[in-house]
Amino acid sequence: MRIVVLTKPVPDPASGQDRLGPDWRVDRAAAPAVLNGNDEYALEAALRLVEAHGGEITLLAMAPPSAPETLRKGLAMGADRAVLVTDPALAGSDIPSTVAVLAAALRDLEADLVLAGIDTSDGFAGVVPAALATTLRLPLLSNAAAIEPDPAAGRVRVRRIVQGGYDVLEAPLPALVSCTQALGAPRYPSLKGIMAARSKEIAVRSLADLGPLPRPVGGAVAETVVVAVDPPPPRGATRTVRAPAAEAAREIAEFLAARRLLP
Amino acid sequence: MSGRLVVVGELADGRPTRLTTEVATLGRRVAEDLGRPAVGILVGPDAAAAAETLAGFLPEVVAVDVPELVDLAPAPRVAAEVATLVVPEDGPILVGASPDGRDVAGALAVLLDRAVLANAVDVEVGPEGPTTVTPIFGGKSIVRSRFVGRPGIITVRPSSVDAAPAPAAGRIVGRAPAAASGGPTVRRLERVVEASGEIPLEEAPVVVVGGRGVGGPEGFALLQELAALLGGTVGATRAAVDAGWIPYARQIGQTGKVVRPRLYLGLGVSGAIQHKVGMQTAETIVAVNRDPDAPLSEYADLYVVGDLFEVGRALVAELRGRREGGGG
Amino acid sequence: MVVSSTPPGYELTEEQRLVRDTVRALADDRIAPRAAEIDRTGEFPWDVKALLAEHDLLGLGIPAEYGGVGADLLSVCLAVEQVSRVCATSGLIIAVQELASLPIVLAGTDEQRRRWLPDLAAGRQLVAFALTEPEAGSDAAAVRTRAVRDGDDYVIEGTKRFITHGSIADLVVVFAVTDPEADRHGRMSAFVVERDRPGFRVARLEHKMGIRGSPTAELVFDGVRIPAGNRLGAEGEGFAIAMRTFERSRPAIAAQAVGIAQGALEVATAYARTRRQFGRPIGDFQMVAALLADMDAATEAARQLLYRACTVIERGGPDAARWAAIAKLVAGDAAMRVTTDAVQVLGGYGYVDEYPVERMMRDAKITQLYEGTQQIQRLVVARALLGRE
Repeated sequence: MRIVVLTKPVPDPASGQDRLGPDWRVDRAAAPAVLNGNDEYALEAALRLVEAHGGEITLLAMAPPSAPETLRKGLAMGADRAVLVTDPALAGSDIPSTVAVLAAALRDLEADLVLAGIDTSDGFAGVVPAALATTLRLPLLSNAAAIEPDPAAGRVRVRRIVQGGYDVLEAPLPALVSCTQALGAPRYPSLKGIMAARSKEIAVRSLADLGPLPRPVGGAVAETVVVAVDPPPPRGATRTVRAPAAEAAREIAEFLAARRLLP
Repeated sequence: MSGRLVVVGELADGRPTRLTTEVATLGRRVAEDLGRPAVGILVGPDAAAAAETLAGFLPEVVAVDVPELVDLAPAPRVAAEVATLVVPEDGPILVGASPDGRDVAGALAVLLDRAVLANAVDVEVGPEGPTTVTPIFGGKSIVRSRFVGRPGIITVRPSSVDAAPAPAAGRIVGRAPAAASGGPTVRRLERVVEASGEIPLEEAPVVVVGGRGVGGPEGFALLQELAALLGGTVGATRAAVDAGWIPYARQIGQTGKVVRPRLYLGLGVSGAIQHKVGMQTAETIVAVNRDPDAPLSEYADLYVVGDLFEVGRALVAELRGRREGGGG
Repeated sequence: MVVSSTPPGYELTEEQRLVRDTVRALADDRIAPRAAEIDRTGEFPWDVKALLAEHDLLGLGIPAEYGGVGADLLSVCLAVEQVSRVCATSGLIIAVQELASLPIVLAGTDEQRRRWLPDLAAGRQLVAFALTEPEAGSDAAAVRTRAVRDGDDYVIEGTKRFITHGSIADLVVVFAVTDPEADRHGRMSAFVVERDRPGFRVARLEHKMGIRGSPTAELVFDGVRIPAGNRLGAEGEGFAIAMRTFERSRPAIAAQAVGIAQGALEVATAYARTRRQFGRPIGDFQMVAALLADMDAATEAARQLLYRACTVIERGGPDAARWAAIAKLVAGDAAMRVTTDAVQVLGGYGYVDEYPVERMMRDAKITQLYEGTQQIQRLVVARALLGRE
């Protein structure tokens, strides 16, 4: 089974240094880049699928040229190879551009299964998986908590999380699945995996390498623009309590009562 | 004629979701500011019936009954039907940022070739048209963005707006399905209900949240007890979910749910940025943690330095005492 | 077009950064929550050992053909540093496995390597390094333990002290005198002793000030008979094997020291940012800020020196012993000073076990003592400087 995992390098949310630069684009120098958290869950799901069914995993990213470092982590976790689409013209791309570029790159990869995280920690939009599926006319199985492909029968079943439970969805392969954390926590790369990643291929492709696209793409044709970036309105000051448990509990109860929060 | 502001609704159990009524409330106001008529679109098996509710929020609701959506994953078909109803002059198109809403928005972006501004908590209207307000990086910055050229699709974050019905009910227009199909078919074989009766996390007025400090699944019993006493439900951080102590559906934060309860009570929660994303707009934040320097200590309203079990058990006793005392 | 790894140079390579970041995440998520309890109970953390084994961290320096990772010395040190940053006892597990398997890697025959290294690399077995004796500490050549040839066997007689992991190791690399008449560099040979050999016993465990989860044992060899095939290298090569081992093990201890210092610096910095006195965070006060700045400078200086030492030692050459000694000397002193100052920054809170800095201060002290005391490191450096043996 050929699995492609969409991955996006994002500023490390844990660094506390993620922010926009003076151009109101993500300041990539301010925080170290990491693989988007949900993409790691997608990759973990892909690794488990390949362990169970055989096959190979390709990482696909559209990102700045510094991305190989974050892709290397995915290779160390066990992906077989990576494709990085990078081009100066793509900086500042909006969602339709991103989708057009990823779709073109995906067509060349002939995947049986495309996995993506449900959203990214920098953009948070969560619309790219559906837009890609629509563009490529792939069935979309979103919000997945479990993925059970049947490659012989050419179909896949997915548990899709819904309010209060889940749906069991089924679609023919190839298909696109957007992945949640319920699929299981990503592994740490093993040290042997890190050493093995050294010799794995990261193919770098420019816009020209992708060939003609159905629409103009890149920052120059972006149809959305940031007009202001402001700090959030301040919250009130924190009241800190250090007291024995019973006393602290009484303080909490009185605080809640004063704010009419007790039933 | 100038175009319409479109609100794409979402159905659950034959009714518009709470998020749909929130988006409709926001859409009605934005449409007034833009001087455009607002129209809601509902696509689904019981769309006509559900339109009665949504018409309480919008001047016009178009209902497209698609009975076969019972057995299908709805988003592609919903997007396809909406695409047939939207004309080039229409916009912006507001969609709730729920899992289904995001799927509909993504598909619509391609079908209509429109740009997307995601995850708005508000939409302001200025001389250049609608401007979205979106917190990014866990609320560290508030970004205002607008469309260049024609207005596109805006997804609206849950719990950003208080749903309020319109003074007068709108009219309902029934339409027959017009889209050929929703693209490749995704069949729904089964719906499994796991947590009937529990208050959905996003709708609970009080959320009692456990983190790594809870230490194990048994530790959540105390949180359940507190939630019951406070009239709320239980949530968790990613650490507690990843450890398998509580299901993913209970997770609050970056990769989980976004909540805006009246009271957030965190026990053994550090409040790191990934969690903060999902709860920072809670009206009141109270936290109990042994670590005096955890991030929550900087943005909670009340921060108790102490053992969550000791303080938690004392709080159970205190609340019980008050309840009994209040009765006598 | 194919992108290769960053070429090695003054910066860490892409691969080394990945090793560092991976081990840091593992340490933060899985080891840090255990550190206080390991110190309190003084019990060896078998769960942490299993975790390290699962991620290949016990076979880091062992060549890939013998089941190890085949990582360079700097990568080994990065791993020890990151684990020691949260738990010095756990960092030592990596360092000791590396140190004690080195004689087999450096001097073992292919058959011996195949016999022992795969189990060590996989973490199925632990190994200890037994050189020090009650009367032979800094003076390594004063070893009294004897190994007497008897047909195809050797019979080992003697006592070893302060042997890290001595009580839990499956294999012990023992240095014993084979020729009492030879000069100090030719008297000793190195042997691998399996723990189930009759006559081997653990006489006692030490009660230590720090690294309390790491068992330090006194080992008695009471006529332990081993086949000659357990000897590493030629007879009389023991001293040379030990010294070559130190060239690579001293940096690992320096890495432990840098990690401890970094851990203390982070705790103290976070504390200074949030602890308020006189109406403002104590980090706003210049006397506290200066302490933190000096702690950071000392830690970073030790770290950069260590990284440089690793690349010099990896390349080989006559200067390796000097670099190893300098790195350990500077890092050990930095760890002691930085952890002591961290306790100072935290004041009374630093002196009690509510915060980890008192543990870090106790743990730091050992880095000035083992793998050669700071005085021995100075001796090594001075000899290199003055050109005398």
